Amino acid sequence: MSLFGTTSGFGTSGTSMFGSATTDNHNPMKDIEVTSSPDDSIGCLSFSPPTLPGNFLIAGSWANDVRCWEVQDSGQTIPKAQQMHTGPVLDVCWSDDGSKVFTASCDKTAKMWDLSSNQAIQIAQHDAPVKTIHWIKAPNYSCVMTGSWDKTLKFWDTRSSNPMMVLQLPERCYCADVIYPMAVVATAERGLIVYQLENQPSEFRRIESPLKHQHRCVAIFKDKQNKPTGFALGSIEGRVAIHYINPPNPAKDNFTFKCHRSNGTNTSAPQDIYAVNGIAFHPVHGTLATVGSDGRFSFWDKDARTKLKTSEQLDQPISACCFNHNGNIFAYASSYDWSKGHEFYNPQKKNYIFLRNAAEELKPRNKK
Amino acid sequence: MAICQFFLQGRCRFGDRCWNEHPGARGAGGGRQQPQQQSSGNNRRGWNTTSQRYSSVIQPSSFSKSTPWGGSRDQEKPSFDSFDSGASTNRKEGFGLSENPFASLSPDEQKDEKKLLEGIVKDMEVWESSGQWMFSVYSPVKKKPNISGFTDISPEELRLEYHNFLTSNNLQSYLNSVQHLINQWRNRVNELKSLNISTKVALLSDVKDGVNQAAPAFGFGSSQAATFVSPGFPVNNSSSDNAQNFSFKTNSGFATASSGSPAGFGSSPAFGAAASTSSAVSTSAPAFGFGKPEVTSAASFSFKSPAASSFGSPGFSGLPTSLATGSIRAPVTPAFGSGSSVAGFGSPGSHSHTAFSKPSSDTFGNSSISTSLLASSSIFATDNVLFTPRDKLTVEELEQFQSKKFTLGKIPLKPPPLELLNI
Repeated sequence: MSLFGTTSGFGTSGTSMFGSATTDNHNPMKDIEVTSSPDDSIGCLSFSPPTLPGNFLIAGSWANDVRCWEVQDSGQTIPKAQQMHTGPVLDVCWSDDGSKVFTASCDKTAKMWDLSSNQAIQIAQHDAPVKTIHWIKAPNYSCVMTGSWDKTLKFWDTRSSNPMMVLQLPERCYCADVIYPMAVVATAERGLIVYQLENQPSEFRRIESPLKHQHRCVAIFKDKQNKPTGFALGSIEGRVAIHYINPPNPAKDNFTFKCHRSNGTNTSAPQDIYAVNGIAFHPVHGTLATVGSDGRFSFWDKDARTKLKTSEQLDQPISACCFNHNGNIFAYASSYDWSKGHEFYNPQKKNYIFLRNAAEELKPRNKK
Repeated sequence: MAICQFFLQGRCRFGDRCWNEHPGARGAGGGRQQPQQQSSGNNRRGWNTTSQRYSSVIQPSSFSKSTPWGGSRDQEKPSFDSFDSGASTNRKEGFGLSENPFASLSPDEQKDEKKLLEGIVKDMEVWESSGQWMFSVYSPVKKKPNISGFTDISPEELRLEYHNFLTSNNLQSYLNSVQHLINQWRNRVNELKSLNISTKVALLSDVKDGVNQAAPAFGFGSSQAATFVSPGFPVNNSSSDNAQNFSFKTNSGFATASSGSPAGFGSSPAFGAAASTSSAVSTSAPAFGFGKPEVTSAASFSFKSPAASSFGSPGFSGLPTSLATGSIRAPVTPAFGSGSSVAGFGSPGSHSHTAFSKPSSDTFGNSSISTSLLASSSIFATDNVLFTPRDKLTVEELEQFQSKKFTLGKIPLKPPPLELLNI
């Protein structure tokens, strides 16, 4: 596959053939490895929406590139295309019709990549790296929402170089999620704001953080009627908070749980605590997956408040994760997330994206 | 004092002679019955935690399948879910609750504070031993504002700095700055662990005022806590700030205080040689080692009050010392805003500053605000120019100077260019 330069050498079939080759632990779960994975840490993953037949995966990396693969039902991954930024890519998202991909980068811009023509044009500009990007499709408008470390949230009509709207954030934007009509933005200094997007985006509520440390990732979940009703917030302290926007009983309904900590068989010995790098909700079951710096992923059922599964430990942190549109595939990226500083950064280490069949393992546990 | 476990179980055989504390036995029991929501919640937790010392306190293991989440118990109560904090209940006897600052409080509140402080200590220990990301803000109880003295830097920001420095071949200054930040953090954690009276007062005012501030509490109580990220800062900042501390406290030297801070800022090139990188990392609001007063003033600042920079806060995380207690509400205004009084610790001295930062980093690493730093900073001060030439500013800084007021987090570290001053 000349598109991406050298292939990974694991064959394009995508089926795992490891175990025998080396004793390394880069894929202990024996999941499907995506071919031609990026050369530097993967910051974000995104699957195509249901409007597009088949599954296409987009990954943005610290090598300044965005890559696209087609994932076939057999598990085969075919690299399709690639675009470059002038800085590391921090976030990617799809438009609702699956024709465009939006990418946000440390070069303070965001681009719109038209997949059919393989052209990318700049659609957004900030004063600092753009950390999050989401596509908003409302009945009366559509736009791209970008959150940046310049403490603003901007909304862009892709045809104009001026933002449709600029909202000020109390601090740098660290993570965001959008499910119309709700958007959540978590900022530095434990800031947390919910926006409502009907008519036009406006701030709905500022929430006091349920977590004690830095916010790292956020994901909105929906209720049984498919309406967004709350969000899960992960921090650097191995903890996720589940927060409902308007719960009948906040004290009981909102809770936090610990995750991505080393096994303290001896509870008095200090645990190792790892950051939660990503949270994703299964689109069908409503169960969630978390990935952490400890190199594990876990599946949880938030309604039954139980853990469904924890993976084996990979030899690198897992930096991003994503479900495809019907929840059959769970993709996670194994690459260094800087959680231990520059000393542990090894540019030679390979970065992987793994695909796992998620249809069965994420079925919710029946509430006892 | 340690709380007597046997008394809690109703079977202390020493009675009044017991060396441990019998809560409620002193007539404070009446107070405790009151349903102050927070305190009663805390008390309940307090009983739980203390009695749990004798039962097996196990964090429900969250590593086996279908186990209830460990944290499921900790809902909206203002308590942290580290139920094994019971183990530390006894540790901080040196609190001296009977001493002045708390004398006016009811036993309930005293208990709360004690719990809070204990919790903080425990959290600090966990933070240190767990290897978790250190550049994070922290709040002792979930809904409360952040404690001052901690910066919030995300791993991506740090990594970006690394990459920028790599390309500009300036890795050493990156390493220095990271080392500074680490030292800063460590100092602050140690400070919080070994609570002496002054830090306690600061913490409590931190937490309390934050609560009082309701709306701002969330964003702003916290935002004030951001320290300078820049490495050069800790060095100068500590020194100059230390000097300024006292002047600031007496409320007189606001001008000096503000001038002190740019000293630190002048050093920004040490961190961002290109100076353009400072934007991402240099979330300005300086660390407030000193609790609320600066915070509130800065809070008002953030809330569109005309007060300019939050630099008035000389508080520096590494400074374990005296705390401004609330008397200082100097609206930090025009003095800095116009920049005119910024006694020049301007950036042109940057190169000399870089040289400066290194040696002082060592001394600073020893967590002593050494007088040598003070001395050297004053020497340094005299060398510098009052204003930054316009071309030496980054775009962001220029923008900040040109705008009506500074945005928190973007306050330039260098003095403004002469042309932009409207006097």
